[in-house]
Amino acid sequence: MPHSLPPSPKASPKEGANGITKFTNCRILKGDQLVEEDLWVNSVTGKIVRSQAAFFDDSILPDETINLGGRILSPGLIECQLNGAFGFNFSSLLEPAEYAKKVRYVNKQMVGTGVTSYVPTITSQTSELYKRTLPFLGPSGHVQMAEDGAESLGAHCEGPFLSPTKNGIHNVDVLRQAQSFDDLVDCYGIENLTAEYPDESPRIKMITAAPELGQMTNLIPELTSRGIIYSIGHSESTYEEASAAVAAGASMITHLFNAMRPLHHRNPGIFGVLGIAESQPRPYFGIISDGEHLHPTTIKIAFNAHPEGFILVTDAMHLVGLPDGTYQWTNGDCTSHIVKKGPKLILEGSDRIAGSSITLIECVNNFLNWTGASIPQALKAVTSTPAAMLGCQGLKGCLDDGADADLVVLSEAQNGNRTELVVDETWKFGSKVFSR
Amino acid sequence: MRLIIRDDAELASSYVADYIIDRIKHFNPTAAHPFVLGLPTGSSPMGVYKTLVQRYKAGLISFENVVTFNMDEYVGLPRDHPESYHSFMWKHFFAHVNVKPHNVHILDGNAANLEAECVRYEEKIKAAGGIDLFLGGIGEDGHIAFNEPGSSLASRTRVKTLAYDTILANSRFFDNDVSKVPRMALTVGVQTVLEAREVVVIILGARKALALQKCVEQGVNHMWTLSSLQLHPHPMIVVDEDATLELQVKTVKYFKSIELVARAQGFEQILPSTIRTGQASIPKTVVEEIAPSSPTIISSPTILQPQPVTSRLLRASPATEYPVRSVSPDLDLVPDRMADRVGVPDITRRLTPNPEPSLLHRSGSSADLVPDRMAERVKGIPDITRRLTPNPEQQQQRVASVGA
Repeated sequence: MPHSLPPSPKASPKEGANGITKFTNCRILKGDQLVEEDLWVNSVTGKIVRSQAAFFDDSILPDETINLGGRILSPGLIECQLNGAFGFNFSSLLEPAEYAKKVRYVNKQMVGTGVTSYVPTITSQTSELYKRTLPFLGPSGHVQMAEDGAESLGAHCEGPFLSPTKNGIHNVDVLRQAQSFDDLVDCYGIENLTAEYPDESPRIKMITAAPELGQMTNLIPELTSRGIIYSIGHSESTYEEASAAVAAGASMITHLFNAMRPLHHRNPGIFGVLGIAESQPRPYFGIISDGEHLHPTTIKIAFNAHPEGFILVTDAMHLVGLPDGTYQWTNGDCTSHIVKKGPKLILEGSDRIAGSSITLIECVNNFLNWTGASIPQALKAVTSTPAAMLGCQGLKGCLDDGADADLVVLSEAQNGNRTELVVDETWKFGSKVFSR
Repeated sequence: MRLIIRDDAELASSYVADYIIDRIKHFNPTAAHPFVLGLPTGSSPMGVYKTLVQRYKAGLISFENVVTFNMDEYVGLPRDHPESYHSFMWKHFFAHVNVKPHNVHILDGNAANLEAECVRYEEKIKAAGGIDLFLGGIGEDGHIAFNEPGSSLASRTRVKTLAYDTILANSRFFDNDVSKVPRMALTVGVQTVLEAREVVVIILGARKALALQKCVEQGVNHMWTLSSLQLHPHPMIVVDEDATLELQVKTVKYFKSIELVARAQGFEQILPSTIRTGQASIPKTVVEEIAPSSPTIISSPTILQPQPVTSRLLRASPATEYPVRSVSPDLDLVPDRMADRVGVPDITRRLTPNPEPSLLHRSGSSADLVPDRMAERVKGIPDITRRLTPNPEQQQQRVASVGA
C-alpha cells in the first residue's frame, strides 16, 4: 500500500495495562519440534517479548494469560504466491481508490485462513498494469496495524519475461525478453524496482523469469543487489542454464515441476539444481500441494531432495472461497473464462490448470497426510522457510524473542484417517484478529 | 534432625514440594505478612519445582504472597545467559507460577560493587523478616549454596571462589569446557542459611551418598559445609534410597522409624507454632480461644499435635524460639584455679607414709600383694626327675640312619 495512506494509531492498552498477553499450556513451534513453553507477546510493540528480561528488568506480569489447552501455537503462515483471493484478482485494472479498497478487504479476510503475511502475485501483464497496481502491493508491515489484517511483504511479478512455450495460462501476447536492465525498468517502472529508503525493500520483492531468454541470467546480480529475489520459472531451461542462473544469484524456483521441463535422466532440467553439490547454494522452491498440480509422490521426492528449501504455496486465484461455476477472468486486456469445479480451476475450452483455489492450511494438511511429514516439518514449509527465502528470518516465521508477534492457534482434527490442522485463532502484531 | 527417605528421586521431590505447599498454606501468607522462601538451583531441586508448578496449575497453591530469595548466582555471567541462575529460576519456576516480580530476589553477579551487593542482600533478607523456609541442595563435596569445603561456618553472603570440583561438575552446562565456567559466585553464607527458621535440603542419587554420610553421621566440619545443619534447631533432609548408600543400616532404620512413629502420631516436622504461622498470626490465636473448639486451627495433620515437650516449654517462655547459639552464662570472671578445686594437700603428710609396714599390715586383710608364684598354681609339681623326652640319644640315632 502506498505510504500516503494515513496510519491509524497502534494498539493502545487500557489504563494501567501493558498490552502483554501470555500464552500458556501450548505447544509452540521451535525449529523441528513442538515444545511446551509459554509465549509472551506485546500488542504495543507488536513483538514477541523476551519474557525473562521483562520479568526481571521491568517487573512486568502479563495483562492476560491465555490457556490454549495444549493446542499448537505456530508463527503466522506466510504465502509466497497468491494471485488473488475473495473475489479480487491482484492483476486487475481498477480505479486507484477502488483497487486500494479491494486490497484492504483481501488483507482483512486473509487472516481467517491463518495467513498473516503474503506476497501478492501479478501474472504476465502489460507494463501499464504493473505501474498502476504495484504502488498498492509493496511492503505494508511498517505501520504495524493489527486491524489491517495480513500484511504484504512486497509484490511478486510472475512474468512477463517468461518462455512462450511454458506460459501455462499466461497471455502469450504480453510475454517479452530482456536484453538489458532498462528493459526491466521499462516494464515495471524504476520506482517499483528501487527502495524508497535505504533500509526498506522495493515494492517488488520477487520476480519470476526464464533465465535462458535474452540476457536475463546476466541481469540477476543487478536484481539481487536491489533486494529483489530472482526466481526461476515458466522456463525451458536446461540443467546447465538453471545452474548458471543459481550461480548468478537465483534463490528460488517458482512452482517446481509446473511450467518447466520435466526431470529427464539425461538432463535433469531445473529440478536438477536441487541435486547440486553441498558446497553450492541450493535454491528454495515452491510446491503446490493441491492434488491437481502435482502427484503426492512427486511432492515427497522434492521434499526429500532439499527439505530446507521446501516451501508450500497455493498459487491461488481470486476464486478461492467462491462456489463452483464458470467465472469471467480478465487477463490484462483479454477476457476468458475459468471453470471452477471443487478445488479444480480449468481454463474454459482447454485442459490447462488455471492456478488453484486452495488455502495454504489445506496445502499443509495435504502435505502432512500424503508424505507422513511431522507437523513441525509441514509448518516450517509455510513459516520459517519462506521467511528465510524472503530474507526476513528472525522477524517473520518464527517465535523467537523480538520477532513480530504474528501467530496462529491450531487444533488437530481427525477427519477419517487424515490428521488436519484447523486455524482456531489468528493474531497479528500481538492482537487477536480472527477467532473461529 | 529429620531424615526423610523415599524410594526414588521423584517421590523425594514431590515430598519436599508438598511439604513446602503445606507450610505455605498453614502460614496463610498475606501481602503484609508474606511467606519468605529461600530457593536453590541445580539438578536436585528441579523435580521439586516441577511438582510445585504442577500443584500451582492445578490450583492447589498460590505464590502471590510468597517472597523468594535465591541462594547464589555466578559472577560475570550475563543475567540472561542460559546457564545463569536467573535463567534457571525463570525457566523452571517463575515463568510458570504467580510469584510477583518485585517479590523475587536473586543476587546480581554483574553488580558494580559485589561486596555492596552482598551486604544489601543480607539487609533485604532482614527487611523481609528473615527466611521462613530455606530449601537447599548440596554438591558432591557437601557444599550448601556455593559454600565450598573450607568455608567458614559463620559466613554470610559474600563473593566466593568456586572449588575445582564444582567447576568440573558444572562444566557439563558449559559445553564441557572448564574454561567457560565462571570462577566466582555470589552466595549466601552458611550462617545465612542457619538463620532461616527452617531448613529443608534435598539430596538425590548415589553420587551424593558420601556427602550425606559425612553430614549426618560425622561431626560438624567446614570441609562438609552441610554438616553445619546439625547446629540448626529444625533441619530436615529429604533423600532417595540411592543417597543413603554410604549410611549405616542403623542410621537409615532409625530415621525411618522416626518417620513411622511421627506419622502414626499425625505430624511430620516438629516446629514451634510461631514458626508455623509466623509472628503476625499470634494475636488471632488468642481471639479464637473464645470459641472452645475451632477445627480450622488444627485442620492440618502436620500442625501442633502432638505437642512435643520441647515446643511446649518454649512456648511457655517469652522468647518462643530456640536460641541459635547456646548462651554463655552471664557472670563476671570468677577467680578459679585448678589447685583450688583439688584442695590443699597436707604437705607434712607423706603421700606413702610407711610403705613397708603398711604392706605388711594390709597383707592380712586384703588380697593385695600376696606372694604368688605361677609354679604354685599348676596342679601338682612336675616330677623333675622324669625326662620329657625319654631317650634323646636313641632318637637322634634313628634320624641319622634315615638320612643315610
